Amino acid sequence: MPISIVVPQLGGSVAEGTVSKWLKQVGERVRKDEPLVEIQTDKINVELPSPAEGVLEAITVPEGATVLVGTEIGVLGSTAGDDAAAPATALSVAAASAPAVPLSGAGAAPAIAPVMTPPPASAPAEVPAVVPAAGGDSAREGNLSPAVRKLMREHAVAMSEIAAIRGSGLAGRVSRDDLLEYLKGRATPPSATTAGTPSPGPALRAPAAALAAPAAALPGLAPAAPFAPAGPREELIPFSKVRKLIAENMVRARRTAAHTHCFDETDMSAIVALRREWAPRLEAQGVHLTYMPFFIKAAVLALKEFPWVNGEVRGEAMVVKRYYHIGIAVGREEKGLIVPNLKDCDRKNLVQLAGEVNDLAARARADRLRPDEIAGGTFSITNAGVYGALNSAPVINVPEVAILGVHKIAERPVARGGQVVVRPMMNVAIGFDHRVVDGELAVKFLRRVCELLERPELLWFYA
Amino acid sequence: MSAILSVCHLGPTPYREGLALQQALVSRRAAARDAAPGGAEATDWLLFPDHPPVLTMGRGGSERSLRVSRESLAARGVEWFEVARGGDLTWHGPGQLVGYPIVDLEPRGRDLHRYLRDLEEVLILALERWGIPARRVPGRTGVWAGEEKIASLGIAVRHWVGYHGFALNVSPDLGFFELIHPCGLRGIHMTSVASRLGASAPTLDQTRREVAELLARRLGYDGIRWVPAEEVRNQATGIETSTVTSAMAHHAA
Repeated sequence: MPISIVVPQLGGSVAEGTVSKWLKQVGERVRKDEPLVEIQTDKINVELPSPAEGVLEAITVPEGATVLVGTEIGVLGSTAGDDAAAPATALSVAAASAPAVPLSGAGAAPAIAPVMTPPPASAPAEVPAVVPAAGGDSAREGNLSPAVRKLMREHAVAMSEIAAIRGSGLAGRVSRDDLLEYLKGRATPPSATTAGTPSPGPALRAPAAALAAPAAALPGLAPAAPFAPAGPREELIPFSKVRKLIAENMVRARRTAAHTHCFDETDMSAIVALRREWAPRLEAQGVHLTYMPFFIKAAVLALKEFPWVNGEVRGEAMVVKRYYHIGIAVGREEKGLIVPNLKDCDRKNLVQLAGEVNDLAARARADRLRPDEIAGGTFSITNAGVYGALNSAPVINVPEVAILGVHKIAERPVARGGQVVVRPMMNVAIGFDHRVVDGELAVKFLRRVCELLERPELLWFYA
Repeated sequence: MSAILSVCHLGPTPYREGLALQQALVSRRAAARDAAPGGAEATDWLLFPDHPPVLTMGRGGSERSLRVSRESLAARGVEWFEVARGGDLTWHGPGQLVGYPIVDLEPRGRDLHRYLRDLEEVLILALERWGIPARRVPGRTGVWAGEEKIASLGIAVRHWVGYHGFALNVSPDLGFFELIHPCGLRGIHMTSVASRLGASAPTLDQTRREVAELLARRLGYDGIRWVPAEEVRNQATGIETSTVTSAMAHHAA
């Protein structure tokens, strides 16, 4: 039975890998555990050992292409007496399983064509016979002469095309003459998208798809119009899938909501003291207590008192929600911002909230969120204070109509009863959609949040 | 996981020899694990070679990162290697602390990015100990002091054992980096511990000891054992001509 060679799980945060080098050619025998292919992710290059003894029957993802973890990149056939039958089985399997979708934007499909989809007319048995001979030692761009590479650039020749040329040079290497000969017979480039990127390197890799849909078609990833390449002292970093979604959401938010902001400050003495007292106790129970659960508690009560802030605009109507799914912005460095939400925060006590906030943030960073956790929020909180911000003007997580910004708690001199005293103070901000939330409402809501933080006992009386 | 990290300052080591040494120890490490998973006789390594000037290109690289001709390198006394590690083109040579952790990644859940982040953290902690604020730059693996790069990383994994490693610029001739676009990044300036701290900079030997200790702590070893270079070379050459079984016997002896 043919065995599918897939990119294995390479760690929690690794969603994709680039095929850096095939160590065996199609048709070559390989022993079990013998290195078969190299995959690169970030600055780690991993040799994947062969899962079994056999013959490499197909390379479905060429060198230089970036694919999701779990994608099939090649097919290994058994070596036993069924040599003749093996290629046919392998090819039918390759055709039946979802084709690997290399994420390297340019010319991905043509790049794998010579190996993966032989013309229907040709007998499957021909494939192993033809492919290993063609291209010879030219499989890597580095093995080609500068003259060949220059020609490749000028005529937008992909590495896959080189791989299909029977080279006349040493070890089957493709020479300049071979390439010129090939170009004579080549009417047009395989596709417009191939142009300009003969061998998509990691720097040009396209992003991972949404984790929920590995190896699915990724429409719209390729840029509609060509963009200028990076110049000297510039680096071109294509958007990841997450980055693209963030960009779209932010632009949509800015375009649809009538963004307005206002600011207030709150004395955090009571909450700081509460947390100082309770954090060690909860820590002993395995719950790490941050300030976020307090912010959620205060926000939920204020939302109950000002229901329009917990709403959504639908057409020319305002939907007020009597459930409180609070979104929490989680920064994930290069992986990009994500705002998962905690369901029914009004029905949970502070300890439950603390545990669930930590769990949600940890899973957000590890790409382990469930789809329902990133949809259906009713109001969001963003804490730019964890990075040290004293204030911010947050963007609304549309279709919600408001977002609360909390910040760094800093000791500041403030006046209390005619005396200057030092208190842990925090600025708070609200970003609101002025189409439905007027300034008056926003200011009252924000003031209420501040009061609830300053006097947590209010939660006893009104929550 | 092995409790003790074996550490060795190899002294002057041509790049080719360092590579062979690593590969031999990787094979031995993997064989020991497969023979007796979690066995105490299996030890991870941290090798510190002193390489003569050399440019090495990883799998993520291309010759476009080289700013001079390949031919001119020999005249400058700089060797050239293409290696199966991650990352782009980089330089190694005198004044640089090159470290090759040979670490079994199986008990670490094969979590490659976590391993990279751990190595970065070790170097950041070391630099901060010497008074140089250092940081990561998201998407640009390595360690940065301000806007300048001070340490590079490039890892290879075979049989789920990591090798190659990091290069921290302690007091190298930074002029060598003019030969390349380091790590394929254009317009990047390299800096060093010495150029940041001047006369108060630690010596290579001090940096070696501190980095070894921090790395052992970060990666969860109980301690380190300094091994003479001679012993490492003997052990590594022993494996190349023997079978796994006899290597195990050799090691047990």
